Amino acid sequence: MKREHPAFTGLALLAGLLFLSPVLYSVWMSFQTADAFYTGTFAFTLANYTRSISEFNFARYLLNSVIVSGLVTVLGITLATLAAFAFARFRFPGGDLLFGATVATLMIPSHISLIPNYLTLAKAGLLDTYAGLILPAISNGFAAFFLRQYIRGIPKALDEAAYMDGATPLQVLWRVIVPLSRPAIASMALYIFITEWNNYIWPLVAVGRQDLYTLQVGLARLYSINPGEGLVDWPLVMAASTITILPVLIGFLLVERHLVRGITMGSVK
Amino acid sequence: MSRKFTPYLFVAPLMIFIAVFTYIPILTSLNLSLRQWNFLTPDMPFVGLRNYQDLAASSEFWNALKVTTLFTVLSVPLRLACALAIASYLVRETLPSRLLRGALFLPAVTSTVSIAVVFSWVFATDYGMVNAGLAALGLGRPQWLQDPHLALFVIIMVNTWKQIGYDVVIYIAGLQAVPQELYDAASVDGGRRLHVFRRVTFPLVMPTTYFLLVISVIEAFQVFTIVNVMTHGGPAGATDMIVNRLYEIGFVLFDIGRGSALAVLLFILLVGLAILKSRIIGRKVHYEA
Repeated sequence: MKREHPAFTGLALLAGLLFLSPVLYSVWMSFQTADAFYTGTFAFTLANYTRSISEFNFARYLLNSVIVSGLVTVLGITLATLAAFAFARFRFPGGDLLFGATVATLMIPSHISLIPNYLTLAKAGLLDTYAGLILPAISNGFAAFFLRQYIRGIPKALDEAAYMDGATPLQVLWRVIVPLSRPAIASMALYIFITEWNNYIWPLVAVGRQDLYTLQVGLARLYSINPGEGLVDWPLVMAASTITILPVLIGFLLVERHLVRGITMGSVK
Repeated sequence: MSRKFTPYLFVAPLMIFIAVFTYIPILTSLNLSLRQWNFLTPDMPFVGLRNYQDLAASSEFWNALKVTTLFTVLSVPLRLACALAIASYLVRETLPSRLLRGALFLPAVTSTVSIAVVFSWVFATDYGMVNAGLAALGLGRPQWLQDPHLALFVIIMVNTWKQIGYDVVIYIAGLQAVPQELYDAASVDGGRRLHVFRRVTFPLVMPTTYFLLVISVIEAFQVFTIVNVMTHGGPAGATDMIVNRLYEIGFVLFDIGRGSALAVLLFILLVGLAILKSRIIGRKVHYEA
């Protein structure tokens, strides 16, 4: 890495802090008593967090978000990997058409499916269930497309050697392709997880039962309990907001470089 | 041989889910858009194009279209101009540049609901961060989210704050693809920085600009969460964008026919834009001879 003028370093850090200041301050605010906040002083407390969890059910929302995003990720990656393997390694009648239909989903705005998916799940009796939250989100055309491109880069001789040893296609996928595709699978899994964690409109329409709220819906509801100015308990709301941001933030800081690389690969290539 | 069916078994699970939750819903929406229904009645009479006519006759529909267009026209050029300017500074591979890129990118992976809630406080009239600063300078306390002239501006700011890091990252990738020799040649010719930017950088990142332009327009037409959390489309419809209207018609008023008609119109518009996008990406641009 090249050396940089110290003035630029200082300026860059300042700009970054200024840019993130609303979020940084909101985290700071979450450790403050409401009285102190409204009188412009500071008094440290953890009460906003304990209240979010005990009074406002945020532990449950956190659990729901983990369950829903986790299952969407696992099922989504499984479906995408299976299909990507077939698209990358087999030529079969209708294969191009099916692949085209998969890629075309990238162009289709999800809002067209909002009302029909609501009706489908209502008919299946799955509104207000985890299944209702999860099922519409697990087909991911982008992940299937991305993994197919990656798998095509793996030498086919490796598959053939395994077939010679008597492996079935499923064994080839599991023993050869999946281990070699680990970086691509990991970045897609992360991408799916974050997208689902932050999903708002579907959990908003698909769930009416409070104990099935995800963090996003729980936070939006907590905030709108008192949308009138001055009535909002800002430190409490900011504690809930911090709980909502934190898991993804930690994940992001751990794998930032891979994530950015995955996103640029997917969009400029 | 069972081998023949193998690939179908591998693609079947994905295909079933895509069919049930993506393709069949398009047909269902088309069908529902021609009917009158409110979730409750057992039958859903066919009414032809009446839902579309109702939309065309309602001021709320035209207002939503107007607000969405205004939002798009104001926010997209703002985002792209800022992003290109920032990216041309951050393209260097140095530590502070890397850190700043990370800071800018952070909102792109952060929950939109949290961002909307945090910025509701930032722009709150009485205890908000912006008004605290303005009041300290003796500039008064605007009612950002209650004033029809200001609310859309706030939504644009928040959306820009969330999305700009993504644009910057894409622009940096585009800038890094410009061969260094072109810059060297331009500076040997005695080109000044602004001149080099105008004559070399700007034309060469044009494909990236087109790409970002189309995807930001597509995104702009789908903004919902920020509006739903911060303003509910108000005050007086000033921030009532298309998807917010779709949500209100479909899931608050339960007018399924009209909601589906709006969804179909949005679908046609966005698929048209998406086809334009794939045309742009399909046209490969090579810098090197």
